Amino acid sequence: MTQHEFDPRVKQLLDGELTLADLPAELRAEGEEALRLLAAVDRASVSVPAVTWRVMAALERRRRRLWWLAPAVAIAAAVVLLLGRPSTPPTTLSATVVTVRFVLVAPGAHQVSVAGTFNRWDPSATPLVRSGTADTWVATIALPPGEHQYAFVVDGARWVPDPAAPAVDDGFGRRNSVLTL
Amino acid sequence: MMRTGMILGLTLFATTLDAQQTIGERLTGRVPSEIAALVQELGGAAASRGLPVDPLIQKAIEGNAKAIPADRVAIAIRGVVAQLDSAAAALRDAGVASPVDTLEIAAGGFAITAGLRGRDIGELARTGRPTSDVIVGLRVAGTLAAMGVPREETVRLVGSSLRAQQAPGELLTLPGRVQSEMARGATPAQAAAGLARAAAAQARHGPPPDRGPPPDHGRPPRPLAPPLP
Repeated sequence: MTQHEFDPRVKQLLDGELTLADLPAELRAEGEEALRLLAAVDRASVSVPAVTWRVMAALERRRRRLWWLAPAVAIAAAVVLLLGRPSTPPTTLSATVVTVRFVLVAPGAHQVSVAGTFNRWDPSATPLVRSGTADTWVATIALPPGEHQYAFVVDGARWVPDPAAPAVDDGFGRRNSVLTL
Repeated sequence: MMRTGMILGLTLFATTLDAQQTIGERLTGRVPSEIAALVQELGGAAASRGLPVDPLIQKAIEGNAKAIPADRVAIAIRGVVAQLDSAAAALRDAGVASPVDTLEIAAGGFAITAGLRGRDIGELARTGRPTSDVIVGLRVAGTLAAMGVPREETVRLVGSSLRAQQAPGELLTLPGRVQSEMARGATPAQAAAGLARAAAAQARHGPPPDRGPPPDHGRPPRPLAPPLP
């Protein structure tokens, strides 16, 4: 793989510091090409029986902790039965997970990770590793179906939204990237 | 009557207490004590109103991870509660059975974060599709809005797709299809409008002959809500 040197402003685009609209017209094609290269998100459903086991284990822990609430729960259950509902179909838990590859081009970075709703926003939980060119960082993880928000953490301090993903306001004046599976 | 009130009060108290205990366990050592106390207070009240508490916990942990000052984290958490309340109210107004599914409220809250309004949430909930499909529809709608698709086009596209009985897996392809059209030069609005027209045609005439029944075939449809006054 040959190493391609992007214009510094395209690197800023990849870092989420600029948008395509901020680039001069002559750089937009290069910017779009760079974003296309980054849009490498692999999705393949795989069955993970362990997920079911973990869900059951969590329910079991919850049940043990709630023994002292048994009378109130019994009364509540009776009330529900007496009132003769619910009419809403139960939402089923899916046993599948989706494998997702996160990619960030971060020139000059020494350490990159991804933190989000799927790992309790822990910057040390999911590190990315260098791949291909020295500036490209990747991580592949399995996520449950649903809506996930995340950001990359560069050198343990700089929170960077994914330039290849849509983003929403994080409530703190920054942006969180969004991944819906 | 008085006994029923006492039972409901006891149930409410137990729900609130359990929510606060769960929140306390999940936040211990992760956020400053004043933020943990705030989330316990707001989360307990939210749970008693049938709202999900996970988004509050997530926002508190996120704020701490990003080293945001506690007063700003508190504002953001209150904002999350307001969005969830708006989503729940919109779903109730749409005639969704009460109590509303917490996953559905969370999905509606996300859609509001992304730029949709309460009436948009209600419109998607009134498509008469099962709860699980509406949840996916709300998440997809939020994602489309986050991509820059205007609110009206987002609701038209996802609403048409839901009415066309597209399966959740098919709904999830919408953001990628819009992105493909945008890569060919369409604006987000144009891309969504084209797909919405196709979905509306599918809703009128049924799926193409090479496609079998939708995967949720046989599931009971959600009852349609009464028309708005």
